Amino acid sequence: MDRPPLLEVKGLVKRYGGLVANDRIDMQLRAGTITGVIGPNGAGKSTLIGLIGGAVVPSEGSIRLDGRDVSRLPASERARAGVGRTYQIPRPFLDMSVEENLEVAQYSIAPFIRATVAREERRALLARTGLADVATLTGRALPLLRRKRLEIARALALKPRVVLLDEVGAGLVDSEITELIELIHSILDARTAILIVEHVIRVVRECCSRTMVLNFGKTLIEGPTADILGNDQVAAVYLGTGGARESQTADGTAPAADSAIHVSAPEAEAQVLAPLTAPASAEAATAPALQFSGISAGYGQARVLQGIDLTVERGQAIAILGANGAGKTTLARTISGVITPTAGALLIDGQDVSGWQPHQIAALGIAHCMEGRRIFPTLSVQENLLIAARGADALTARERLEAVYDLFPILAERKTQGGTSMSGGQQQMLAIGRALMARPRLVIFDEISLGLAPIVMDKLYDALALLKKARMTLIVIEQDVDRALALADHAYVLEHGMFALSGPPRQIAADPRLRHIYIGGAEDASMGELTSIG
Amino acid sequence: MPDIGIISSTIVAGVLLGGILALTALGLSIVLGVMRLVNLAHGDFLVVGAYAGLFFLQFTGIDPLIGLPVVAVFVGMLALPVYSFLLAPLAGRGAEAQMMTMFAVSIILENAFVLAFSADTRSIARDYATVPLTLGPITFPLIYLIGFAISVTLILAVHWLVSATAFGRDLRASAVDAQAAATLGVDVKRVQMLTFALGAACAGVGGTLMGAAFQFGPSSGGAYLLNSLAVVVLGGLGNVIGTLIGGIALGALQSIGGLTLGDGYRDLVGMALFLLVLAFRPDGFLAKGRT
Amino acid sequence: MSDAIVSSPRVGSASTGGLVEVAVLVGALGVLWFVPDFAGDYWLQLGFRTCVYLVLAQGWNLMAGSAGLVSLGTSSFIGLGAYAALGLLNRVGAPLPLALLICATAGGVLAALVSPALFRLRGLYFTVGTLALAELLRLLMVNVSAFGGATGIILQEDPPALPVLFRYVLVLAFLASLTITLCTRTRVSVILRAVRDDEDAAAQMGIRPYRVKLGAFVLASALAAMAGGIQAAKLGAIEPYGMFGLQWSIDVLSMVIIGGVGLRLGPLVGALFVVALGEALADYPEAHTAIAGVILIVLIRFAPQGIVGLAVKLPLIGRVQA
Ligand SMILES: Nc1ncnc2c1ncn2[C@@H]1O[C@H](COP(=O)(O)OP(=O)(O)OP(=O)(O)O)[C@@H](O)[C@H]1O
Ligand SMILES: [Mg+2]
Repeated sequence: MDRPPLLEVKGLVKRYGGLVANDRIDMQLRAGTITGVIGPNGAGKSTLIGLIGGAVVPSEGSIRLDGRDVSRLPASERARAGVGRTYQIPRPFLDMSVEENLEVAQYSIAPFIRATVAREERRALLARTGLADVATLTGRALPLLRRKRLEIARALALKPRVVLLDEVGAGLVDSEITELIELIHSILDARTAILIVEHVIRVVRECCSRTMVLNFGKTLIEGPTADILGNDQVAAVYLGTGGARESQTADGTAPAADSAIHVSAPEAEAQVLAPLTAPASAEAATAPALQFSGISAGYGQARVLQGIDLTVERGQAIAILGANGAGKTTLARTISGVITPTAGALLIDGQDVSGWQPHQIAALGIAHCMEGRRIFPTLSVQENLLIAARGADALTARERLEAVYDLFPILAERKTQGGTSMSGGQQQMLAIGRALMARPRLVIFDEISLGLAPIVMDKLYDALALLKKARMTLIVIEQDVDRALALADHAYVLEHGMFALSGPPRQIAADPRLRHIYIGGAEDASMGELTSIG
Repeated sequence: MPDIGIISSTIVAGVLLGGILALTALGLSIVLGVMRLVNLAHGDFLVVGAYAGLFFLQFTGIDPLIGLPVVAVFVGMLALPVYSFLLAPLAGRGAEAQMMTMFAVSIILENAFVLAFSADTRSIARDYATVPLTLGPITFPLIYLIGFAISVTLILAVHWLVSATAFGRDLRASAVDAQAAATLGVDVKRVQMLTFALGAACAGVGGTLMGAAFQFGPSSGGAYLLNSLAVVVLGGLGNVIGTLIGGIALGALQSIGGLTLGDGYRDLVGMALFLLVLAFRPDGFLAKGRT
Repeated sequence: MSDAIVSSPRVGSASTGGLVEVAVLVGALGVLWFVPDFAGDYWLQLGFRTCVYLVLAQGWNLMAGSAGLVSLGTSSFIGLGAYAALGLLNRVGAPLPLALLICATAGGVLAALVSPALFRLRGLYFTVGTLALAELLRLLMVNVSAFGGATGIILQEDPPALPVLFRYVLVLAFLASLTITLCTRTRVSVILRAVRDDEDAAAQMGIRPYRVKLGAFVLASALAAMAGGIQAAKLGAIEPYGMFGLQWSIDVLSMVIIGGVGLRLGPLVGALFVVALGEALADYPEAHTAIAGVILIVLIRFAPQGIVGLAVKLPLIGRVQA
């Protein structure tokens, strides 16, 4: 307490035109502590990290590192001074191997480090971050979550004194979160301070001694983590009532409406969504909406899906679960035609569409809300939405737009802004809205709750339930097992490119093998212990 | 000291000519902005347009300005196979591969022009190319005014197409993330092919106008390309309205440069200006071009 | 002579590190040094051209393959070197090696001067910017009579004998290759490629992207200026259209692409190919460029990694290289 803070932020302001993304933020990071920052999507958390890391130029205010004002230094000099950050949307050096990605950091801060020393350091780092097995792969070849780990490893290779972690826990299963928490604790030593921005509350709860809540760019409250997580105001703007909250004090009081997502009665909500749901087709639907028979698929040499059979009936909601790297996203991509199966047949409404182009499959009423958002930066928010309403006349397109805006009011506020000039969570909302704009008959949602504030997640799943009620066929890929199982009619657990389990949600939830996959060493659960069903 | 009439005539002529320059750069600008392709054969597409206008006049006797739509369609159609056989297979291979392929197309075209039409310089001889128009103290060739009007109309139309229509949306989306666009239902190949053809069609029109205003030959493509590049960069890369502004600015300043320093300095002034703009333009301006 | 050059692809196929590469380079220099003793003028001409191309291609490959700077402005520096060299030889009577060193300095300085403007442009826009730079310089030379205007300048004394020139250019090619080896076989390469992949992320890793790009640009430009200088000394007469022409920039680009972008042996193979192609097509003047164009298209299409990339894919060579 007596020591001066390692990093001190005073009166920090960042404006984007009229929008104040960070509004007079004061903050102190002391060596040997971990501080959490939480808050609704678009509250200004990533902006704060960008400001401290030097990627974003502050409009006002000062940032002092060890008493030295660094607020005007470019990012490279901050990195050299000891600030290491991760990007919320990972940016590995795509054409370099994982190991080389780390070399960049090592050689830039210590050009003359001994090769053997550097190699040892890298090896240790890769082992700590669970990347040892992919050290020679290029950044491009890594799936999203591995890229997030690489972000951490690369930041650590700088031997930083201030570590800034932006949503590194998003999308991880429980066992992986446990590992992450251990990793974070192991980074901390007496000379280091860590700042964590996170929507995975468990990480905040178990790592951070103090937590700050941002809302509309301002500090809402700051204090010991336990107090913050139990605070009513925080529950109202951010945590919601969906279990993320620490202790329920004021029971029965619904949280005040937040700005991120529409809150209203379910019936009204169903009305609102009507333009986005295709009318249930009158003609006798005999063929299933989607059918996989013996599908294998992968990338180049790597075979990811190993002969999958799957049938999805119309109006059914299925959940695809599984550890990271099991092949869930590959499965999604196979459906939408982004990758072509190497064996087997893909049937949509009984029609064989194997080998079709993505746009042809989209024309059949299949929408794919892709992992990693994929928002078009050169299109405005509204254009990002409209592009998916293919073949709709102006009037229908307008109706659908209104429906999406009703669901995510923040998008209406930002409709003329560039698609990627919004926060990570806001972009996620845009991606979801865009998928719905096609008024699809079948939607694949790949990790859509990644990076959403808990309260928004609650609302999102309410909306999904309504879509399901409107007989939209849903395929939900999700790390949040409870939510996914609550929604689904049927669940599949994917492991090493095959279905290890399948059945009604209740049965799956009770199955000890699911626990095993999720809790007991996600990546190294051996196939032998599980009887594959198909 | 030149008299006021000459000065104002020069400036007006420069502005009008700049409009035509903008049109010659339009195709390059669209293809660069949307397909991320530096079309090194753009100058030769302009030359194709000039020859097309010339032969259209010779064979039909109809004025090439009336035949402009025909020329545009013709050159646009020629570009279709270039796209589908040469460029489309290189998708996803980085900018250089396509750029070099277009360079190869450019030298093949130039060689073909010489073989087919000989190395002579020609021009589309029409009255309006030489008839001067006099408004008070200002005098300039009529063709400049005609060209300017056509050019502004066409550029505004293209701007509308790119920024306000569904096709334009598809086009901009395909440029940044083709895979995501395809998953949303955009037929990316078709969009790119049409864009490329549109660029070529604009070049066809621009080429005919250039052919009517000036002399041209099989190897005029190089000079056309460089001028177009200057316009595109001056006006903000890949920005359609910027292209018009860039063209007019270039035309006007070239004329002033030519008047004050001597005719040889016309082009030099343009290029120097271009580099100065790059060096001193605030970052915000370029941000658009980068994305 | 041709045998000796063709045998040097072993240069990079041994991948046991930079040391081997340096040793091979030194060996190649040692052997090729004696070529003028027994080879005729024709072969020396070809060797000279190959070396000039090699110097240019090495520099270009460093910029593009490593730092991501795709330039179409090589001719700016070639032209600058050419004018500087003849100016120095004519007015000051400087010895050729000294003149070449001054050319290199001039090239580097010009690169540094224009970099504030050019580096504001990223990706393709940088490419367009470099193209405009070359055009600007050409127009300047055409119009400023002190530089001889459109007719250019002539070397007043006799140009050095061909064997002498060959040895100069050989040393130049050696130095260029050595520099590139030092940049690509060491830690520097990691830094360069990081900047190429993602400048912002690199900055966040403590790299100063501007300086890194500037370094690569200055180095490549110095090499191009020296190549231009020696080329001018050989020609004895230069004019702006030729020395600042787009043709140079395109030639360099096609060499690297034909050889293989970012590949160690790409520039050498590309230079050899372009020189050989020029010879082979010399008999068909009327369709020369069209045929070259077709060949370029076919190569780009079917050899994405260039000729070297194609060769590496063949099992035997591939194994050695890997
Ligand atoms: N480049 C930009 N231009 C304009 N507005 C921006 C820009 N970047 C961010 N914003 C806005 O600033 C606000 C704060 O964004 P920030 O990314 O910091 O949010 P966040 O708290 O990290 O949210 P999330 O939890 O969704 O990641 C948002 O309203 C966002 O739309
Ligand atoms: Mg964020």
